[in-house]
Amino acid sequence: MKIHRLHFLVLIIILVTGVGLFFYAGSNRSLQLAIGIMSTLAYVGWGVIHHALQRDLYPKVVVEYVLMGLIAIVLLMTILGP
Amino acid sequence: MHILFHHLFTPHHTNNHRARALHIDALFIYVLLFAIFNLGFRLIYRTHPDVLGYAIDIRVEQLLTATNAKRQAAGLSSLQLNSVLSAAAANKAQYMFQKNFWAHVAPDGKTPWDFITGAGYHYVIAGENLAKNFSTSSAVVDAWMASQSHRENLLKSGYHDVGFAVVNGILNGEETTLVVQMFGTSNQVVVSPPPAPPSTLGITKPVIVPEEGQSLASLPLGFTAAWRQPLFDLPTVTRGAVFVFGGFLIALLIIDGWMITRHHIVRISGHTIAHMLFLTTLFVSASAILQGAIL
Repeated sequence: MKIHRLHFLVLIIILVTGVGLFFYAGSNRSLQLAIGIMSTLAYVGWGVIHHALQRDLYPKVVVEYVLMGLIAIVLLMTILGP
Repeated sequence: MHILFHHLFTPHHTNNHRARALHIDALFIYVLLFAIFNLGFRLIYRTHPDVLGYAIDIRVEQLLTATNAKRQAAGLSSLQLNSVLSAAAANKAQYMFQKNFWAHVAPDGKTPWDFITGAGYHYVIAGENLAKNFSTSSAVVDAWMASQSHRENLLKSGYHDVGFAVVNGILNGEETTLVVQMFGTSNQVVVSPPPAPPSTLGITKPVIVPEEGQSLASLPLGFTAAWRQPLFDLPTVTRGAVFVFGGFLIALLIIDGWMITRHHIVRISGHTIAHMLFLTTLFVSASAILQGAIL
């Protein structure tokens, strides 16, 4: 349980850093998209490592994290506009 | 109907204890649909900007009124619209499009003061505020007021004149609406007109006498407003779609998380709470995306 909490603390740090950098990018949309993609990759990486350490990593789980990440990127690209 | 609802949106024995709308194939369909939506609106925007595009209504008179309203609220005098400063602002905006930059100082070192003096305005003090890609005049002035340095410029008691230019063009490959605001106080001689006859009632206005060889250009044509009203406003459409879909997904994850905790369901899948946290941060970030930029 303690390790589980530590993993989620790491996730929160990743996500808060991502949001912080996103705000810092201000109105630079290319930079915001780049930060969004980097945060998504970090999230997918976190998911894979977390489940590997929990010994419940299966291809289906990896695909789920990758698809969640892709949804986030597509939504971000939509809102950032042409 | 009831079973179908549970099958689609809640963990149930018919869907292997995970809402069908959260299964991997469903997630894949969402990615595909949004990718098609993304490409579609980009295509429509490029081919029919009058149907789906950016709604813009920025006018010099509105910018002047809003600027002076902020000054009056701060107990300061109103600024006079100066056509020479407006010409300088128009030149600066054109130069930014021509040289493809977005800064107070051009890559070749040309400063705002070069444009001001180049237009024929001899200043004692001067300043410049820039904005791009806003949709309304009030949004531009509000953004300047929200930034300390721009606010100080806008509320400087030493300024007497102001000039504006609102120009559309292509900057860094993107269609951009630039707003240039230039402030100044001239060292031109200010004299009062001869006293009016005693029978005439009126307000005595100081008259600026141009220096020798200087002419006060009229407000530059084509730089006083940017107006476009497409059938659908692009930011409204895309934000609406993203927030409705994102809200739907987060709601599904909340239901999922609540039910698997309540029924102690053990299954092989990603962490619902982690997905919720991730999508929530995406929402927070997306809501912070500004429509315009100031400098």
